[in-house]
Amino acid sequence: MTAKWRLSEIIVLSVLAVVFAVVYLAFFQVGNIMVGIMGPIGYEFIFGIWFIVSIIAAYILRKPGAAFLSETIAGIIEVLIGNAVGPMLIISAMIQGAGAEAVFAASRYKRWGLWVLMFAGMGSAVTSFIWGYFISGYGALDPAYVTLMFVIRLASGAILAGLLGKWLSDGLYQTGVLNSYAIARDKKKASYGRAS
Amino acid sequence: MWLHSINPSVKLLTILMTIIVLALFLDPVLYFVFWIGLMIITFFLSAISWKTWALLTAPFLFMAIGYVWTAMLFPNEELLKGEHMLFEWGWLILTEESLMRSAGLGMRVIVFSALSLLFVLTTKPVLFMLSLMQQLKLPTRLAYGIMAGYQFLPLIKDEFQIMQRAQQIRGVGRPQTLKERVSHWKSFVIPLLASAIRKAERTAVAMESRGFTGEPRSHWYREIPLQKRDAVFVAMIGVLFIVSFTVSSILQ
Repeated sequence: MTAKWRLSEIIVLSVLAVVFAVVYLAFFQVGNIMVGIMGPIGYEFIFGIWFIVSIIAAYILRKPGAAFLSETIAGIIEVLIGNAVGPMLIISAMIQGAGAEAVFAASRYKRWGLWVLMFAGMGSAVTSFIWGYFISGYGALDPAYVTLMFVIRLASGAILAGLLGKWLSDGLYQTGVLNSYAIARDKKKASYGRAS
Repeated sequence: MWLHSINPSVKLLTILMTIIVLALFLDPVLYFVFWIGLMIITFFLSAISWKTWALLTAPFLFMAIGYVWTAMLFPNEELLKGEHMLFEWGWLILTEESLMRSAGLGMRVIVFSALSLLFVLTTKPVLFMLSLMQQLKLPTRLAYGIMAGYQFLPLIKDEFQIMQRAQQIRGVGRPQTLKERVSHWKSFVIPLLASAIRKAERTAVAMESRGFTGEPRSHWYREIPLQKRDAVFVAMIGVLFIVSFTVSSILQ
């Protein structure tokens, strides 16, 4: 998958994963408190944040595999840092990454508008929910309650991953550090012929 | 110590498999017996301090309670039909079976966190990455990339503190409204990410200029072996599962 990647792209993928692994773990603490108070639905409001690195990495590098790998690496890093969710995070990260990757693949890695990014966030929401249904045993809960959980997760994925991810990446692009990556190439191409 | 010397990849796969198999049941008795066995394995065969363990488990206890009361308040009503009524108060219905399911969901959180801690507290990060490369054939470019990224963690933390202090010195106040909070957060995240990406590029250049190509290898400076004790560990978890399953079926 990474045979055609530059080494710098791989390491950029890793450092993005490192930064967001820390963010993920911080939100995990928030989520735990909310779950204690509100039950499993407490996670759903902030669930989207856990998909954000897929969106950012794919949006910056625009390569097949970026969404899946970045999320997977973030999962591995979370395990390396050491926390009690542990190894399962790698599996759930892979499943989340696959959801976003599927949406980017469906757009043939050619469209990078806000809508695609929001759909990618929702893609992660769908796959991660199917997995959560199995591993956390949502079958024992009221279907109406589970549906509500799913709707909140979809919205969270679209907003906290898709919208926030695009906003952060665009902010990062303005600093100029992304000039040698695909995001800059496409943005410059789009601005040709425009008076500046 | 014994658990610390198990091959990380074997440990990882065993624990993942166990979690997936356990998720097929929703049986508090099975979970409880399995959990007791795990405690014995964890504390007799490793050097984990029980204080660290308890500290890391505490949030999950909290989370488990959240699951239990949610499952009691919002049960799947399709399942309740024809079950043994235990308690009815207004719209709140509790049957024997739904009580067991609720306890099962809570106990599942506890067992999964115990399994995870067994891995996390007995595995060194670097050995884990080396084992992923050697046993699970993770591409070397990816693995060394991850390790390089992981090394940046303390640097990123230092940078965060420097930025915090710089903002304090310049009199940046605490954010009050939500909008201020978001832009305050952005004022940290963007520079942190920008400097992380610059570091990544410098590292990539440094690695390549020293001849790192990322070709597959057959020899390693530090070999992570597969030993007999790895098989013993797998067998141990397997036996524990069979015992828990049997105890649970005898009791019910």
